[in-house]
Amino acid sequence: MPNFTINGISVDVPQGTTILEAAKTAGIEIPHYCYHPKLSVAGNCRMCLVEVEKFPKLQIACNTIVTDGMAVKTDSEKVKQAVTGVLEFLLIHHPIDCPICDQAGECGLQIYYMKYGLHKSRYAVEDKVHKKKVQDIGGQIILDAERCILCSRCIRFLQEVTGTGELEFFQRGDHSEISIFPGRPLDNRYTGNLADICPVGALTSKDFRFKCRVWLLRGARSICPGCANGCNVEAHFKEEILYRLKPRQNDEVNKTWMCDPGRLEYKKANEARLLTPVNRENGIPKAAPWEAALSSVAFRLWEMVEKHGPGSVAVIASPQFSNEELFLARKLADEVLRTPHLGFSLRTVGDGFADDFLIKADKNPNTRGAKLLGISEEKFDDIVQNVADGKIRALLVFGNGIADLSDAETGRLLANVPFVVQIATNEGAVSRAAHAILPSASFVERGGTFTNHAGRVQRFWMGFPPRGKARSAIEIITGLANRLGAGWKSGGEAQVFRAIAQSEAPFAGMSYESLGELGQTAGGKG
Amino acid sequence: MAIGIKKVARPRRMSMGETLYLLEIVKGLGVTMGHLLRNIVRQENIPTIEYPEVRRVMPPRFRGLHRLMKRPDGSPRCVACFCCSTACPAVCITIVAGESPDPKVEKYPVRFDIDMLRCIFCGLCVEACPCDAIRMDTGWFTPPENTREKLIYTIDMLLEK
Amino acid sequence: MSGLFDLAVAVARIAIMLIFCLTFVVVLTWAERKGAAYMQDRRGPNRAKILGLTLGGIFHPLADAIKFLFKEDFIPDHVHRLFYQMAPMFALAPALMTIAVIPFGPPVTIAGKTIPLQIADLNVGILYVFAMSGLTVYGVILAGWASNSKYPLLGGLRSSAQMISYEVSLGLSIIGVVMVFRSVKLSQIVASQGELLWGIVPQWGVVVQPLGFILFLVALYAEANRTPFDLPEGESEIVAGFHTEYGSFKFSMFMMAEYFHLVVGSLLVATLFFGGWQFPYLASSGFVLPGGFSIGLPGAVVLLLRIGALFAKVVFFAWLFIWVRWTIPRFRYDQVMRLGWKVMLPLSLLNIFATGIALLLVA
Ligand code: SF4
Ligand code: SF4
Ligand code: FES
Repeated sequence: MPNFTINGISVDVPQGTTILEAAKTAGIEIPHYCYHPKLSVAGNCRMCLVEVEKFPKLQIACNTIVTDGMAVKTDSEKVKQAVTGVLEFLLIHHPIDCPICDQAGECGLQIYYMKYGLHKSRYAVEDKVHKKKVQDIGGQIILDAERCILCSRCIRFLQEVTGTGELEFFQRGDHSEISIFPGRPLDNRYTGNLADICPVGALTSKDFRFKCRVWLLRGARSICPGCANGCNVEAHFKEEILYRLKPRQNDEVNKTWMCDPGRLEYKKANEARLLTPVNRENGIPKAAPWEAALSSVAFRLWEMVEKHGPGSVAVIASPQFSNEELFLARKLADEVLRTPHLGFSLRTVGDGFADDFLIKADKNPNTRGAKLLGISEEKFDDIVQNVADGKIRALLVFGNGIADLSDAETGRLLANVPFVVQIATNEGAVSRAAHAILPSASFVERGGTFTNHAGRVQRFWMGFPPRGKARSAIEIITGLANRLGAGWKSGGEAQVFRAIAQSEAPFAGMSYESLGELGQTAGGKG
Repeated sequence: MAIGIKKVARPRRMSMGETLYLLEIVKGLGVTMGHLLRNIVRQENIPTIEYPEVRRVMPPRFRGLHRLMKRPDGSPRCVACFCCSTACPAVCITIVAGESPDPKVEKYPVRFDIDMLRCIFCGLCVEACPCDAIRMDTGWFTPPENTREKLIYTIDMLLEK
Repeated sequence: MSGLFDLAVAVARIAIMLIFCLTFVVVLTWAERKGAAYMQDRRGPNRAKILGLTLGGIFHPLADAIKFLFKEDFIPDHVHRLFYQMAPMFALAPALMTIAVIPFGPPVTIAGKTIPLQIADLNVGILYVFAMSGLTVYGVILAGWASNSKYPLLGGLRSSAQMISYEVSLGLSIIGVVMVFRSVKLSQIVASQGELLWGIVPQWGVVVQPLGFILFLVALYAEANRTPFDLPEGESEIVAGFHTEYGSFKFSMFMMAEYFHLVVGSLLVATLFFGGWQFPYLASSGFVLPGGFSIGLPGAVVLLLRIGALFAKVVFFAWLFIWVRWTIPRFRYDQVMRLGWKVMLPLSLLNIFATGIALLLVA
C-alpha cells in the first residue's frame, strides 16, 4: 500500500490508484473534465494538473499513479496559475450562451470558472470560432458543437460502454469539433447518458430541453420503475411535477448509467393521473371523499364474501407496487378476505426488448419481490379463467392495466365482474371499467422498497406528498382491511418493512438502516 | 449596561394669558387666516399636484411598471433564461420557454407573465437579466383595475409598453 | 280679504327665511371645504364642472346632493328600524323651527299694515329657542341608540352628556342679556340694541354683556357639536360617532342639520349680541351720527341696509364657525366636561350677579 502526502496530508491508498482518486480519499477535490470514473482515462483536458515533488513539470492527476513516498501539491501558486490558464483556453471559443443553455446551473465550466477562473476574457468576441448549434443527432440528444470542450467523454462512452461509436472528433486545431458521421445518427438505447457525462452544455437532453432550469429542481433518491433491473436514480421535480430522472451511482446495479426508455418513465407520474377516489353510481363515476369511498368498497367486499363465500372475491396484485404494499395486499387477501384467488399480473411495455447490459424484458420493478412474498403469477391465469366463467363477484385490481390485455380485452373481461375496485395511479382501461377507484401515490410520492431481478432489495424515497387526493397504497390497504374488521395498526412503510423482515424468510434480518442507499440482496429463491 | 437617567425637560408652566386660551385661539385664527389669504392670492404656490393633468416627473432611477425590450426585428429580447423569475422574491414572474424556429435565437419565451399584484417593485429582475431584456423604466405605477386578471401582464402587454 | 293677505305674508316670510337658510347651508358646505383646503395649503374641491366652468368648485354641493339622492337608502339589519329612520328628522326639524322667531328686519308698513319681518314674534322668543335647541339632542341620542352598534352608542352618550352640560351655560349666559334689555321677546331685544350707550356706542349685547357673549359663543359651539367640541363624531376614537351607520340621504340630513345649526347659531349671536338687523347709527330716517350730523335716506334704502347688516353679521359668524374648526384641535372628553361644569357654569352665574349689581347701581 503506497503512502503518499497530498497538501501535507499523509494517506495510504491501494496500489495502482491515480492521484485524482487518491485525493478524493483525502477529501481534496482536483478539478477535472475528461476523467470519468467509469470510463478509460484520456488525459486530454489538462484541468487536473498538480505539482508532484521532483517532477520538473506539472502532472495530470487523472493519469499519474501514486507511488510510495510521493508528495503532491494541488494548492501551490504554480498549480493555480496552470489551472486558470487551462480554463481560459477551454473558454476561448465558448459562446457563453448560458442564458439559453440547459446545462446552466450544473455546468462544469460555470462551476470551475467561479472556483478557479474568475479571469477577464482576453479574447475578442468577434474572433471566436463558430460551430454548428442545435443539431439533432438522434437518440435523446441535441448537440451544440460550439459549447464542447473536446474532453472526449462521449466518444469513450460510445466506444467502451455501448460499443456503437457514433461520435468522433472532426477537423483540427480550434476548428476541432465533435460530430456524428453523415447520415448515421446515434443508435443505441443509452444515449441519455451522453447528456449526463458531458461536463458542459454541448450534449443536452431533448426531452428536458427548455422545460425547467436545473436550479429550481429538487431531487429524491429513487428507483427507476421501468424494468426489473432497478437502476438507482435521482428523480428531479419542481413542486408536484417531475422533470427528469438521472442515474445515481450504484456499482452493483447500474454503475452510473441508465437506459433511454427508463428516463421517460417519469412521465406517467405527471400525466393522466387518478387524483380523487371515485365511486360509480348507476354507471356514472362520481368523485367521493376517502372515508365514503373506503367504507363503500369495504362494505361491497364484505357483502360478496357473506353472500357468495370468500371464493367469489379475487385480488390481482401488481409488481409495480412495493414490497410493503404487496405484503399488505397478500395479508388482505389471505387473512381478511380469506380468498384463494390472489395472483399478480405483469405489466408489458413495447416490444419487451432486453439486452445484456441494463434493460430487462420484465418491465416491472418488483416482480422478484412479489414472488419472494409468495404471490404467484400462475394464479393469475386461474383468476382470469374464473372471471371469464363468471365465478368472481368482486375483483380488487392493483395497477393501471391487467397483464398484456388490450383495452378492449380488459373491458370484456371486467364486464363479467359485478364489482371491480382499482388501486392505481393512472387512467386506463381498468379505471374506465372499475366501479370504485382508489388513487394511489406514484413512485416519487411515497417511499418503499423494490426487489430487482437479482433479488436486490433497494429503497426509494418520497420526494413530495401524493398529488391531489391520492394516498399511498399502504394507507389504502390498511384502511380497507380495518373497515373489514382486521384491526391493523396503521404505520409507515418502515414499520411494514419491519414486519416483513420478521415474518418473511427471504427478507430476514433486513431493515431500512441495513439497506442504506444502495440496497441489499435478499436470501432465498423466488 | 447601567441604566442611564435622562432628564426630560418639563413643559414650562403656562402663563396666565395662555391658560385663558382665548388669546391663543385668536393667534391660531391668525395663522389659519394667513394661510388662507396667502393661498387665495398665490394659487401657484399650493404644493398640490393636480394628478391626471399634471404628473410628477419621475426620477430616472424610479422603478415603475416593467417592459420587455425588443430586438431590432421586433421579437422579444428575452431568451427565457428564468434568471428574473429566480431572482424575484415575490415569485411573480411565470415563464414558459419554447424552441424558436430561428437557430440563432434558439430559446424564447412562449409565455411571460408578471403578476403586478404580487410584484414589490424591487427591481431584482432587472438586475438579474443577462440580456437587458426587462426594464422598469416606464415611469408608471400599477394602475387600478376591476379584476385581478387584468393585473397579470402577459408578454404582449409587456412588449407593448 | 285681509285674512288672505295675512296668509300670503306669513307664507312669504317662511319662504324667504327657508330659502335663505337652505341656500346658505349649501354655500356653507362649499365654503367649509374650500376654506379648509386653503388653510391647509391644499386646493380643495375644483373638479365638478358645468359648461366647462368649475368656479372654484362651487358646483360640488350640487354634485353631492345628486349623489346623496341617488345612493341606495340602505338600512343595516341590526338597527331599530323606526327610531333609526326618525333620528335624522329629529336632528333636522328643531334646527329648522328655530328660525321662526328670529327677526330679519325691522317691521315694515305696507298698505297701512305693519308687518314684522319675522315669522312669528313670540313673546317667549328666547324660551322657544331654548326649547327647540333642547330638542336637537334627541336626534343625536336616537341615532346613537337605534343604530345598535358600539360607536354610534358611544357617540350618542357623549353628545347627550355634552349637550346637557352646555345647555345650562347657554341658558344662563343669556339671562344677562334678558336682564339688560328687559324682554324675552327677540324683536324687542333687537329694537333695544338700536339705542346708543352714553350717546356714542351702539348699545349692542356684546358691549353690555362681553362675558355673556363669550360664554354664549362657546356654549353655542358645544351645542352645535362643532370643533373644538365635536366629540360625538370623533373619527379617531369612535369612527363617525352617532351617524356611523347612516348613509345616503339620511346621512345628508345629519349634515344639513349640522349646517343649519350653524346658520341658526350665527343668527342668534347676531340677534342677541350684535344688534340683529341694526346698522350702527342708522335710524329709520337715515344716519344719525353722534356728533349731531344726520344723512337722510329713503325708507327702502334703510330697510335694505338693515337686512344687509344682519346678513353680513350672519356670514361673519358662520365663517367664524368654519374658521375655528380648522384652527383648533378637538378637546379631550374630560376637558370638555371640566370646562362645562367648572368654568362655564360659575362664570355664567357670576355674569348674572355682576349684571344684576351693575343694573342696580345704574338704576
Ligand atoms: S420588481 Fe421585484 S417583485 Fe417585481 S417582478 Fe421584478 S423581481 Fe419580482
Ligand atoms: S432574466 Fe431577462 S432574458 Fe432571462 S427570462 Fe428574465 S427577462 Fe428573459
Ligand atoms: S481530467 Fe485529467 S486531463 Fe482531463
